[in-house]
Amino acid sequence: MGFRTSLATAALMALGVAAINVSPAVADSAYQAFGTRGRAQDVKRTIDVVMRDNSYQPQRIQVRAGETVRFRVRNAGELLHEFNIGTAAMHQQHQREMQAMFDSGMMSATSKDAMAGMDHSKMPGMNHGAMNHGAMRHDDPNAVLVDPGKTEEMIFKFTKAATLEFACNIPGHYESGMVGKVDFAR
Amino acid sequence: MHDRTLSRRQALGLGVAALAFPAASGALAQPAVGRAMPREFNLTLSHVTANITGRRRPAMAINGQIPGPVLRFREGEEVVINVTNRLREHTSIHWHGLILPSSQDGVPGISDGFQGIDAGGTHQYRFPLVQAGTYWYHSHSGVQEQSGIYGSIVIDPATPEPFGYDRDYIVQLSDWTDETPSHVIANLKRDPGYYNYNKRTLASLVGELRRAPDAAARSAIVSDRIMWGDMRMDPTDIEDVGGYTYLVNGYTPAQNFTGVFRPGETVRLRFINSGAMTHFDVRIPGLQMTVVQAHGNNVRPVTVDEFRIAPAETFDVLVRPRDGRQYQMLAESMGRQGFAQFSLATQEGLPALPLPPHRPRPVLTMADMGMNYGPSGLDRGTPMPEVDAPGHVAPMDMGGMGGMDHSSMQMPAGGSQGMQGGSMGDMNHGGMAGMDHSSMPGMNHGAMGGMAGMDHGNMPGMNNGAAGAGAMAGMDHGAMGHGGMAMPDPLVNDVGAPPGARVLSYRDLRAAKPLYPVREPTRVIEIRLTGNMERYFWSINGNSFSQAQPIQLHLGERVRFRFVNETMMAHPMHIHGMWMIPQVGNGAENPLLHTVNIKPGSTLDIDMEVDAPGGWAFHCHMLYHMETGMMRKISVVNSPRTASAG
Repeated sequence: MGFRTSLATAALMALGVAAINVSPAVADSAYQAFGTRGRAQDVKRTIDVVMRDNSYQPQRIQVRAGETVRFRVRNAGELLHEFNIGTAAMHQQHQREMQAMFDSGMMSATSKDAMAGMDHSKMPGMNHGAMNHGAMRHDDPNAVLVDPGKTEEMIFKFTKAATLEFACNIPGHYESGMVGKVDFAR
Repeated sequence: MHDRTLSRRQALGLGVAALAFPAASGALAQPAVGRAMPREFNLTLSHVTANITGRRRPAMAINGQIPGPVLRFREGEEVVINVTNRLREHTSIHWHGLILPSSQDGVPGISDGFQGIDAGGTHQYRFPLVQAGTYWYHSHSGVQEQSGIYGSIVIDPATPEPFGYDRDYIVQLSDWTDETPSHVIANLKRDPGYYNYNKRTLASLVGELRRAPDAAARSAIVSDRIMWGDMRMDPTDIEDVGGYTYLVNGYTPAQNFTGVFRPGETVRLRFINSGAMTHFDVRIPGLQMTVVQAHGNNVRPVTVDEFRIAPAETFDVLVRPRDGRQYQMLAESMGRQGFAQFSLATQEGLPALPLPPHRPRPVLTMADMGMNYGPSGLDRGTPMPEVDAPGHVAPMDMGGMGGMDHSSMQMPAGGSQGMQGGSMGDMNHGGMAGMDHSSMPGMNHGAMGGMAGMDHGNMPGMNNGAAGAGAMAGMDHGAMGHGGMAMPDPLVNDVGAPPGARVLSYRDLRAAKPLYPVREPTRVIEIRLTGNMERYFWSINGNSFSQAQPIQLHLGERVRFRFVNETMMAHPMHIHGMWMIPQVGNGAENPLLHTVNIKPGSTLDIDMEVDAPGGWAFHCHMLYHMETGMMRKISVVNSPRTASAG
């Protein structure tokens, strides 16, 4: 029974990886509906965000359509966290991808660089050549991964008002409270 | 915010209590607020008449209610709890999962200096709260817990928890019987299958045979029956007690306890299994559950669709209903005899959603029975065994089954007819040891790939022994599916979930803040879970509580208990006063649990940092298993070795 389950997990893993290969095209571009990579010279305002295990401070931010914001995100927790701006549906999709990566051991709970220490030879059937490490790459302009104790910056231009959340999509973190609201001022 | 929700629930519990037992005054434990003084709580135990199923039945209550009041403590404070016994019998209260001095643990005859609370007496407990989370309390005398002596404990943390939520509900699951618990035991002792309403009968055998497509299939059916019969066990025997009504916070499914939420809110559900004899398979169709605490301890949040909760376990989960529909929490008994249920809804007073049909009742297969010989060689035990009564299995000096102590198995020699009774112990060591392979013409060893751990060369005891080798001769081993037989995974719960659903396993639990660094255990003690279903008593290493001496552990050591479940039942094993750390492969992050469910036929290692001196109870939390002998005293002593020389 256990063997069957681990096989099923392996199959899921494979599916997950396959999905990552395909889906980034969708996930990566979805932010374009409301924003784009910001330019440093357009920044008028910096918003400081503190991440803990597992919460954000503040829990709500306010922006204007057309505004370019620098987010300075500090991870005061002991776990790896993400600051990702998107719709609830985007977050849900991203959570599935993250889950697949954690299941496969491609990511660790404490560092985004866990990949480096990974023994790829131990993962038969994984075609790394074909993997662009979609969601892991995290050079999307709407998201940043922050190691424990580190601070990262992200410059994002909100082009259009939308119903958005900022969230951490590492397995279990969103559900534990790492989600906040983005309000658009009129 | 969550404070209010919880106290509202308390008030609701009181409402039901008032309904069941008129005029219960002072139903809540009233903390007397004082400065610099420990907060004081009062619990009064009494006989009541409860009406849970429509019949008025005798029951026992705490402060007039079932379950008893919620004890809400704060991490770091000291509390005083006065327990007054207005029962006509001896009683006790044990604080399940709390780390406290042995003298305050509340097990008569085992906890240091505690002999229980006499009828009419009041006992004062006093202890500091050194932990936070969800726990519970219950009587540790006889089977009073089954009659209603249980309640919940919530300890608010001194530092913020690594998760947030808007509402907070206790979900205390339990199993109620209209029978008096002593009758339950009497029935089980008279006929262990008394409550097995799904027992396979001769008629069902005839039916199965009629439906069989060909002679080979018929032969397979017959040999399956013969094999089960030979083991004196019944594959439909998943739960040993039936006739239960399953409750949530004292509410029947029809009474529909309701947790109110607003769409988008995060709701914390504190699941506590206070069932005397019931494992529950829990799901909330339409919602995923994020497990944030296990047995009161923070874990890395893990999101699942379903989980199994064994008696005495607690899991705290977060759910986040996005819309305003009515959700139904289903807790289906593992033996598929019934549901506990409650609603999550945007308003109170809605009728319960209809219960779904039961999932298929699990029927144990030979593979589930595990053919579990346990580990072999020196892995099997310890060169420095526990101080134990005769019957303890010393470590094997050779591989295979050679060193097994068959004499301790107490197996009934007479073949009980049909599917009745017996135990795994009988199967492994009785039936199998007596197997003469040469007389099994139909047996194809080549096809038995799954039994890799079985070294036929090393089974010196295999000749035509006592137990029914004749019946085995007709066995078609090919039909037994040895090919797929493997040791059952001790950590996977087969709840019958749809494909793709995530079901919680101990493997998914990672301690958020490990309490102890990893180190090698100082010794390994083998704990075989044994029993005689035929006479309905249960035991550890072949000895029931009354026959055994305490297991001595030494302060400061890290001991490993190697559980080998030789029975066909799951046994949620609980150790008082110290955390159990199941070795599930997460290293330093292996979870800290107070109760570890050991599946039928499986083997699991549990480490313990022995850091609490005194006497502690160690037992199966299936109430009738404990009551009939599956229990030990653990004595944690200072002196090294000298005490264990005997």
